[in-house]
Amino acid sequence: MNRAAAIARGLYIAVIYGFVLLPLVVIVFISVNQASTFPSRFEGLTGKWYQAILDHPEFLIAARTSATVALLAAIIAVVVAFLAGYALVRNKPRHGHVLETALMTPLLVPQIVISLAMLQFANIIGIGTDLAGLVAVHAVHVMPFALRLVLTGLARYNFALEEAALGLGASWWSTWRHVTIPILRPSIVAGFTFCFILSFVNLPISLFLTNPHTATLPIVMFAYMESRIDPMIAAIASVAVIVAALVTLLLEQTLRIRLVD
Amino acid sequence: MPTLNLDRVTKRFQNTVVVDDLSLAVENGEFVCLLGPSGCGKTTTLRIIAGFESVDTGHVRLDGADITRTPPQRRDIGFVFQQYALFPHLTVAENVGFGLKMRRQPRGVIDEAVSKALNMVRLDQLGERYPRQLSGGQQQRVALARSLAIRPHLLLLDEPLSNLDAQLRDEMRDEIRRIQRDTGITAIFVTHDQSEALALADRVAVMASGRILQMDDPSSIYEAPQTRFVGSFIGQSNILKGTVKTSARGQVEMMTAGGQIVVGCGRDLAVGSSAAALFKKERVILTRSRPSQQVNVFRCEVEDLTYLGHTISYRCGIPQGTIDALVPNHPSFERFSRNDKIFVHWSSDDCQVFPE
Repeated sequence: MNRAAAIARGLYIAVIYGFVLLPLVVIVFISVNQASTFPSRFEGLTGKWYQAILDHPEFLIAARTSATVALLAAIIAVVVAFLAGYALVRNKPRHGHVLETALMTPLLVPQIVISLAMLQFANIIGIGTDLAGLVAVHAVHVMPFALRLVLTGLARYNFALEEAALGLGASWWSTWRHVTIPILRPSIVAGFTFCFILSFVNLPISLFLTNPHTATLPIVMFAYMESRIDPMIAAIASVAVIVAALVTLLLEQTLRIRLVD
Repeated sequence: MPTLNLDRVTKRFQNTVVVDDLSLAVENGEFVCLLGPSGCGKTTTLRIIAGFESVDTGHVRLDGADITRTPPQRRDIGFVFQQYALFPHLTVAENVGFGLKMRRQPRGVIDEAVSKALNMVRLDQLGERYPRQLSGGQQQRVALARSLAIRPHLLLLDEPLSNLDAQLRDEMRDEIRRIQRDTGITAIFVTHDQSEALALADRVAVMASGRILQMDDPSSIYEAPQTRFVGSFIGQSNILKGTVKTSARGQVEMMTAGGQIVVGCGRDLAVGSSAAALFKKERVILTRSRPSQQVNVFRCEVEDLTYLGHTISYRCGIPQGTIDALVPNHPSFERFSRNDKIFVHWSSDDCQVFPE
């Protein structure tokens, strides 16, 4: 690559990263600024907006609800995606591509529509929009992301390894435990992380499906912002971003040690 | 009692018969090669023995026990894969010890068996490495050690040398032979490479279309093929076609298209029927003066020659076509040039006549 092309390429990457990351920098800036409105000039460093979160237990409760929903939805999504992806790749069913597309369809329906539809459905069959319903809809929505990652992992997976394990005397269960799952762990963990974060931050799906007891963090933030906007919201957002970034980094580091070749 | 016995095994994939009513008996301590072109069913046969494929009809017996329906994890058969199939997330030692770990052997027993197996394949120092840190040849040695560590009743090898470069292939071939002799294990080796099969096997089973055409020791397979397919598949053969003129007591006279008589050996054939005479290229003798023999002597012209180093390959034109001769590159053999008018001869004992 010549010099001009290298510079252009670097610039291009910088612009993209800037576009994605600068808004986050702005949020963090607001959250540590003295000014009580935004946008505003820098008026001095403060931690008071973070402290203010502690005076609003509804955010902490909502954060716990979100984490619970995200955790359960991610677990369900990854299990379903793993089993579906494994069957699709290993058994190559005759209309496998149709099945695969069908499994990806939750991506195509607008989330607000899913939310409304689920509300109607729950009313018709007479169940409440409690946590279980919320988890189920979140799981359906995030599952395609896990499936994509599992399919990518399986594309490089050598099924002869399972025959090798069986031939050496491993049961089917042992083969899964000692061979299949450890080798596909990067895809599984990446899929889980993805699903967790997507569920954690999701607003439109939760919109019609939460009640005061099951309000998720984005719902509570949304409600708060409808009445007023102050830097505490930025502080909450900053915490969420930092925690997500740390978790992602940690997972990457622990996985890279042994599993990326 | 043979160690392994396949009894009239048939396997279909959809409507294709891949293994066709195949029977095979392998004696204790024997090294058998299944040799054939791709798609002849040799790998499927091996996978049936391992239990990775089920059979449609027939029986598989190991040490007298019917294992036709036994799942692979309960067969105690070692299998070496073409692509090695080492567990990428486990070290070499963990790979080799995997089978014993699955058998819930105590730690000490596993460690001892692992070091013994690694010693056998001469990889003592590499136990802590990961497969991706090893060369192809080393990976294949680990795969071999892993399959031997469980002390299997039978060792199956599915084209284990085909991913190695030429020099390493010969080295590994000798290594596999040495280990098989040292351990005395019964082994079945699948290959499409005839030199591998001839070099390794006590007996070679030549396969085509899901059947075993001939199973014999290497020299019989090479020098006394029982079918036209085996004759043309093994080694480099000249083939002349014609019709049977006389046939008695294992000697066949065949009239070729050029009107000349070729004499060979073979089962008695009907006079007038179509036949093909096969003889190996290195059994053809080229001389400048007419040889003293009475049969299979023809005038010819050197049409082309190729210098191969250890041999020289001549292409000679005779009225009924061309005959190729591989002549050792040695002063005791005459050298010829293109367009030389010479004589070609081969012994009727080296010439097999098969119905066409």
